[in-house]
Amino acid sequence: MANAADAHHDDHAHDDHYPSFFSRWFCSTNHKDIGTVYLYLSMFAAIVGGGMSWYIRLELMEPGIQYIEDFQFYNVLLTAHGFLMVFFVVMPAMIGGFGNWFVPLMIGAPDMAFPRMNNISLWLTFAGLGMLLISAFVGAGVGTGWTVYPPLASSIYHPSAAVDFGILSLHLAGAASILGAINFIVTIFNMRAPGMTMHKMPLFVWSILVTAFLLLLALPVLAGALTMLLTDRNFGTHFFDPAGGGDPILWQHLFWFFGHPEVYIIILPAFGIISQIVSTFSKKPVFGYLGMAYAMAAIGVVGFVVWAHHMYAVGLDVDTRAYFTAATMVIAVPTGVKIFSWLATMWGGSIDFKTPMLYAFGFIFLFVVGGVTGVTLANSSADLVFHDTYFVVAHFHYVMAIAAIFAMFGAWYYWIGKMSGKQYSEAWGKVQFWLFFVGVNLLFFPQHFAGLAGMPRRIPDYPDAYAGWNYISSVGALITALGTLMFFVILFRTYASGAKAEQNPWGEGATTLEWHVPSPAPFHTFEDQPDMSGKAPAE
Amino acid sequence: MNASRKNVRSALVLFTFVAGMVGLSFASVPLYRIFCQVTGLGGTPGVQSSAPGKASEIDFHVRFDANTNPALPWRFKPVQREVTLKLGEERLAFYEATNLSDKPITGTATFNVTPLKAGQFFVKIDCFCFTEQTLQPGETVDMPVSFYVDPAIYEEENTRDVKTITLSYTFYPKQDDAKVSEVRKPSATGEKG
Repeated sequence: MANAADAHHDDHAHDDHYPSFFSRWFCSTNHKDIGTVYLYLSMFAAIVGGGMSWYIRLELMEPGIQYIEDFQFYNVLLTAHGFLMVFFVVMPAMIGGFGNWFVPLMIGAPDMAFPRMNNISLWLTFAGLGMLLISAFVGAGVGTGWTVYPPLASSIYHPSAAVDFGILSLHLAGAASILGAINFIVTIFNMRAPGMTMHKMPLFVWSILVTAFLLLLALPVLAGALTMLLTDRNFGTHFFDPAGGGDPILWQHLFWFFGHPEVYIIILPAFGIISQIVSTFSKKPVFGYLGMAYAMAAIGVVGFVVWAHHMYAVGLDVDTRAYFTAATMVIAVPTGVKIFSWLATMWGGSIDFKTPMLYAFGFIFLFVVGGVTGVTLANSSADLVFHDTYFVVAHFHYVMAIAAIFAMFGAWYYWIGKMSGKQYSEAWGKVQFWLFFVGVNLLFFPQHFAGLAGMPRRIPDYPDAYAGWNYISSVGALITALGTLMFFVILFRTYASGAKAEQNPWGEGATTLEWHVPSPAPFHTFEDQPDMSGKAPAE
Repeated sequence: MNASRKNVRSALVLFTFVAGMVGLSFASVPLYRIFCQVTGLGGTPGVQSSAPGKASEIDFHVRFDANTNPALPWRFKPVQREVTLKLGEERLAFYEATNLSDKPITGTATFNVTPLKAGQFFVKIDCFCFTEQTLQPGETVDMPVSFYVDPAIYEEENTRDVKTITLSYTFYPKQDDAKVSEVRKPSATGEKG
């Protein structure tokens, strides 16, 4: 290791000497640059996945078939939409993007524990995205839904290699996330600045830590299940084939054992982001720091023992369904602790309604809306009516497409000055928020009613009785598309002509370490770790 | 230990978690089967070596159902549609299978009972399904199954209302013999098993 004088000299040298373009962007070992590329990957996938959903909503706008006559293609669209949004939009943005950018900064570390492995994760994610996109052009594509249930996903009903490409895509993305999880856990455990105990870490860092453990434990189960499906399809095994002594329900158990923690992987970083934003714009530390941190841990732990609430209709024993109903409802408790803690944070604070705070308010309100329909669905008896209807679609889009996306937008507005050195236009940011808010609510709220009235999901056409709600929902999709377009216009204008961002544009409420470095953050930061002993928790 | 060695050691510990979860995922295959056999969940019948003997005067009905996968050119049906027996009493029933094709074919059967909650109370002592069955072209074979219904079915509150259990088999061609390209889509009514 270089001595202090050399390190000081190296600081200057590194600050204004970047690697060449190819080295810098394709062989990066810099957490900020890798985070930036993840964010661009996410935006690209969001346009593709969003485009698919707008096409679906265009078809569903009116009863009858207007645009999509090939129903396998319709199924391919909705499958790809799901995979893209979950694996290539939300996860890369929140974990790969904001996680990579701000976890090292917030704990005062110079970079991640394994910078090269960080880059491997990035390019494995790209490869996974590539495989998914290729799968749409192989044979008839993957028309199984993101849940990939056999026998539909087996070689009888999907004989081409498309599903195999899909399996490969998930293996690659899964490997990327597992390696990334290891990277985050080791960084957070081993590389915090001296004096920054675990109980002084910002809540965003806690959220990434819990998320990383979920990734570590859940993704390997998906990997195992995918491998079994791959060998069933290609190498003569019968894991999920009754003819050979197997059971398709085993796939469902394995998939949802991964799939339920996966949705907490989606939302936990959002919880962390919201804590940072609410605290900053209330000029108050988050209420009940320990409660917030351990509520996230509790959600993570309990999230592993509730998977069969996705399987209430397969023929489970009544006592089994009773257990999963109760266990699922239990998760509402730590989640409620968080909601009330955010409200308590705002209470008595000096609220500044900047765009990130608008998104945080929107998150808290709309996550509760989505969460309560989740409690409804948790009831196994009622779920027999709701299962595979648009009520389920409305529920998960509220918590994922609305709440999680709001957290991502909020994070972008909150941190773009730090990342790029340019600040967005506050007036236009607010307009974009309201346009997007109206759009997504018009889009998804009517879907509750369609589902309660019995409209099934994953269908390209429906009986006339559902026409009204579908029309409104499609109008909402159009407004959402406009809101998304507006976001990209704001993004381009910020890069092209945004005002110079201050080191801390948000004032005294922004207490975490990233606001102690210049905007844009230098290529290398905290090469000498700051001494955090004696400081209050940087929440 | 310097910082980077500590990091590598932490990473290796975490890799073992990953390996462990992959292992558990593959272990789920036999574990799932054993779990269903032990608990009877999913209508999985139990297996015992002998019946306890008649334990009550209540009449109990057992019905028999037979299915074949479309790739198996056998006629497979129960010899008797239904038997009436007492709880705990051992009974022998027969299925009949005929190979309608011109080649010897080996079949394997899957099975369960409905109602699903009765699984752990329906106990087989001997069954043709415990071994593979090979039928020569045109051959007809009687396939026996001996079983009893555990009297405890009447003691559990959940299953006290059960008066009829249906035992269902589905025969498949043994996978080595089946030509996958000849498999047609199963009928819309589906199969039990």
